[in-house]
Amino acid sequence: MFITDIRKEFYDFVVNQRVALLVSSDIDALCACKILQALFHCDQVQYTLVPVTGWQDLGTAFLEHKEQFRYFVLINCGANVDLLETLQPEEDSIFFICDTHRPVDVVNVYNDTQVKLMIKQDDDLGVPSYDDIFRDEEEEGGDDSGNESDGGSEPSGKRRRYDEGEVERRIERQRATREWEARRREILFDYEQYEYHGTSAAMVIFELAWVLTKDTKDMLWWAIIGLTDQWVHDKITHMKYVTDIATLQRHVSRHNHRNEDEDNSLSIDCMRISFEYDLRLALYQHWSLFESICNSSYTSCNFKLWSMHGQKKLQEFLADMGLPLKQVKQKFNSMDMSVKENLREVIEESSNKYGMKDIRIQTFGVHFGFKNRFLASDVVHAAAALLESTEKDESPGDNFIKALDCLSRSNLERLHGGIDLAKKKLMAIQQTVASCICTNLILSQGPFLYCYLLEGTPDVKLFSKPMALTLLCKYLLKAFVRSTRNKRCKLLPLIIAAPMDVEKRTVIVLGIPPESETSDKKNFFGRAFEKAAESTSSRTLHDHFDTSIIELKMEDRTKFLDALITLLS
Amino acid sequence: MSAGNENGVRLDKFKNKGKDANELRRRRVEVNVELRKAKKDDQIFKRRNVTTLVDEATSPLQEKSQNCQATPQWSVEEILAGVNSNNLDAQLNATQAARKLLSRERHPPIDHIISAGLIPKLVAFLGLESPPIQFEAAWALTNIASGTSDQTSAVVEGGAIPAFIRLVISPHPHISEQAVWALGNIAGDGSVYRDQVIKHGAVAPLLSLLAVPELSLFTSGYLRNITWTLSNLCRNKNPSPPLAAVQQILPTLLRLLHHDDKEVLADTCWALSYLTDGPNDRIEVVVQTGLISRLVQLLGSGEVFVVTPSLRAIGNMVTGTDEQTQAVLNAGALSMFPGLLRHHKSNLQKEAFWTLSNITAGRDSQIQDVINAGLVPLMVDVLRKGDYKTQKEAVWAITNFTSGGTVEQVVYLVQANVLEPLLNLLSTKDSKTILVILDAITNIFLAGDKIGEADKLCMMIEECGGLDKIEALQSHENELVYKASLNLIEKYFSGEVQEDQCVAPELTTDGYAFHISENQSTFNF
Repeated sequence: MFITDIRKEFYDFVVNQRVALLVSSDIDALCACKILQALFHCDQVQYTLVPVTGWQDLGTAFLEHKEQFRYFVLINCGANVDLLETLQPEEDSIFFICDTHRPVDVVNVYNDTQVKLMIKQDDDLGVPSYDDIFRDEEEEGGDDSGNESDGGSEPSGKRRRYDEGEVERRIERQRATREWEARRREILFDYEQYEYHGTSAAMVIFELAWVLTKDTKDMLWWAIIGLTDQWVHDKITHMKYVTDIATLQRHVSRHNHRNEDEDNSLSIDCMRISFEYDLRLALYQHWSLFESICNSSYTSCNFKLWSMHGQKKLQEFLADMGLPLKQVKQKFNSMDMSVKENLREVIEESSNKYGMKDIRIQTFGVHFGFKNRFLASDVVHAAAALLESTEKDESPGDNFIKALDCLSRSNLERLHGGIDLAKKKLMAIQQTVASCICTNLILSQGPFLYCYLLEGTPDVKLFSKPMALTLLCKYLLKAFVRSTRNKRCKLLPLIIAAPMDVEKRTVIVLGIPPESETSDKKNFFGRAFEKAAESTSSRTLHDHFDTSIIELKMEDRTKFLDALITLLS
Repeated sequence: MSAGNENGVRLDKFKNKGKDANELRRRRVEVNVELRKAKKDDQIFKRRNVTTLVDEATSPLQEKSQNCQATPQWSVEEILAGVNSNNLDAQLNATQAARKLLSRERHPPIDHIISAGLIPKLVAFLGLESPPIQFEAAWALTNIASGTSDQTSAVVEGGAIPAFIRLVISPHPHISEQAVWALGNIAGDGSVYRDQVIKHGAVAPLLSLLAVPELSLFTSGYLRNITWTLSNLCRNKNPSPPLAAVQQILPTLLRLLHHDDKEVLADTCWALSYLTDGPNDRIEVVVQTGLISRLVQLLGSGEVFVVTPSLRAIGNMVTGTDEQTQAVLNAGALSMFPGLLRHHKSNLQKEAFWTLSNITAGRDSQIQDVINAGLVPLMVDVLRKGDYKTQKEAVWAITNFTSGGTVEQVVYLVQANVLEPLLNLLSTKDSKTILVILDAITNIFLAGDKIGEADKLCMMIEECGGLDKIEALQSHENELVYKASLNLIEKYFSGEVQEDQCVAPELTTDGYAFHISENQSTFNF
């Protein structure tokens, strides 16, 4: 069921209990987790934090903790499948789910006892009404002769005798039942067809903190990062992003206002969040402007930097801005103050001339003292790079803790480490995009585009991770749409596959919706993957919380793709 | 005499091997838990019922059924006025109106009728000398009693039981049938009302209805209602129905078991499954009736809703003593199992394996019967590829087999390639099942020790990747699992196995073991 009062129906419930906190591996979940942890510290709630990377992980984590815990909080996982069916919990386990995955499974919605959904009702949910998808036992018991066909259940202890004319009515009823079932299938199909994301988990939990009047600037910053994660990884529509930014901006002004009269508003350890209309250049304040332009999807695609022509255009662009190359290529921090002044306006002006009308975007920045300034997207990139680090063979658990750590302002060192990793990752993505475009690795398969990263491609290990592969896939599709002349292809979705586990001979497969300004970001590949796997009995693992990301046996790739083509044509 | 005693002996035998009757009991509880879960699922939606009441009209079903109701409905107040009038016709009309309200498809106003105080009146009408009003009142009360326990209680407290029993032998078949139905609803509520119905003397008149030379003269609905009510008199435990009543009913059940209407057969089999779901002396009462061979025939009838209850009854019987199990085997039950163990209904398959597991828990001659019926390969098949719940039962069947079987029989089992699929199941998450599998492995090793083939077993287990699985279990969070796997590793997989060679010669002096050692070469495969 949906919780309407998150304080009464969630927080007051768990505040005197021990809680198991199961957190999915994405940045929004980490941020929600940070806020909740801070609240729990405040109220001395005992909790155990368990990172989970997929359904199997979630199952194991639940089995390991079900003896000790009654209350489970699931962050960014659990909403989009029938949780009770999946976990088979005892009757007294209670699940609080804060998850952006849509659509929410209907059984979760209509279970009143064990599943509590912390999901904002004003999100565009479209849950089918109860009567359209469930029938009461009573009605089914009514046609006992019909039931016998599937046979063998114990007879009922009591039976009611119905009115005369029952036979005709029963036939009528069976017809109605069949119609009802057909309609139910249709409704469920429509409802479950597309996967998409709702309001950021961090924002939902922040709202809880606010309702409890325990919200702090740190919490607000985490909520901002959570939302920014949804934007960076392209999970929500532009409209939704702008709306939620506005919500957060109100909180930011409230907090800034609160501290105005305090003298320490600019002291060393203070934290200041500000609304910015800043550049869509990844990590530019921690890089050189030049490298950031080269490695940001927006600029790189617009200039087509993978081509000689594109490189030339970039030079022209820099000249147009009137910035000396030497300044542009050195560290942003060391750039002349005179250049940095009005930089955003200067860049915007030239960008407009070069067809990049959206080079600036509403976002937030944070100052920690005087020296450290970060944009929300900087932190998202850094945390994501840490979370999916492939540098050393560290366990997912270690990476999770590191990524979580980098969100604390006491851990700027870690954050800077993350930023360095993120730069490498962005460069790897751009290089891969360039080589895929230049060597025509993106093939049109009819109903969708397809790209397979061969083993031995540089940085291929990096792309065995879901978030990195998602980013690559999104950037690749943008680049492809810019570079192709085929108009039909511009409207196609893209499937990308990359080697995942060389020993087990598996690939990770991921699909994204077509690229367009007005895209609703709804993804139908989850269902399609399931069906294709089923019809070919391919060996697939649908373990990821996003149904559009699966693991597939390398040998089954061809037949799986063939089935997908048939299915979607 | 022997029933209880034999049972004790059998239990002891299990206890010595670390398996006792508690294991079997536990498994029945598990079934109950499952049922409770299913019920819980119903409850999830119960609260929702209330809301559907409010916006009934949104359901396509509701609109249809309303369209069919041509006659205008009475309000409960109108009915109350009618039954309280002194005019028999008015009373009849009001009663009929009440019956109609209670017979409508959705949300009959049962509670409203009860709180209006209509029940005493309706019960009184049962005793009037007017068949139409008797019938209408009986029908209305039947439907009230079909509701919740509270609603059934209201009918019982209105004194309906004796009134209905008097109507059972009404000369009007439709009234008799309605009374039988009502008694079925009351008895179906639970042990307490079941015993009240019996105590008021319902059994004799009910049985007298069937004391005719030819059952096929009845309409099928009538016969079916009587059978169903009889089955409710056999239903429910804690306590089970009074023994005297059971003995009184059983001959009739035997007769019904030879009737040809499949719905009657199904309900009869359910009755038998209830009667056998209890202690061994209760099983004995049913076994003594001599109906097993007919039940076994029905196992092969191919009708799922007859096969299910007859298998349940058979399955219950083999939870009894070795003699009771033997009676089932003598009736040729095992010949039906190849079909059942591969049945397309996974639930039936699971029950069949559950039954089998209790047969392999018996004497070694009974295990031999299982082998001779060619069932071992089917067990191995299901371990390899089957529904998980069925596999769990199959694991029990294997473990019981290894604990009670002779060395030869265990060797046969190993030759049937049981090891690999069995060990593969160690990757399950359920620690109880893991323990049961480890028990089986231990038992197989004990047999291996006796013929000095433990080394070969080690090799086979290692080859199929089983050793890795057992080793992995040493870090299992469940302490018993950890200990059991550690024991196996320490005893059989740590370095040179000196002990075994010491043990082996001792046993080869034994004639029996010597005989087995001829089999050594065939142990290879």
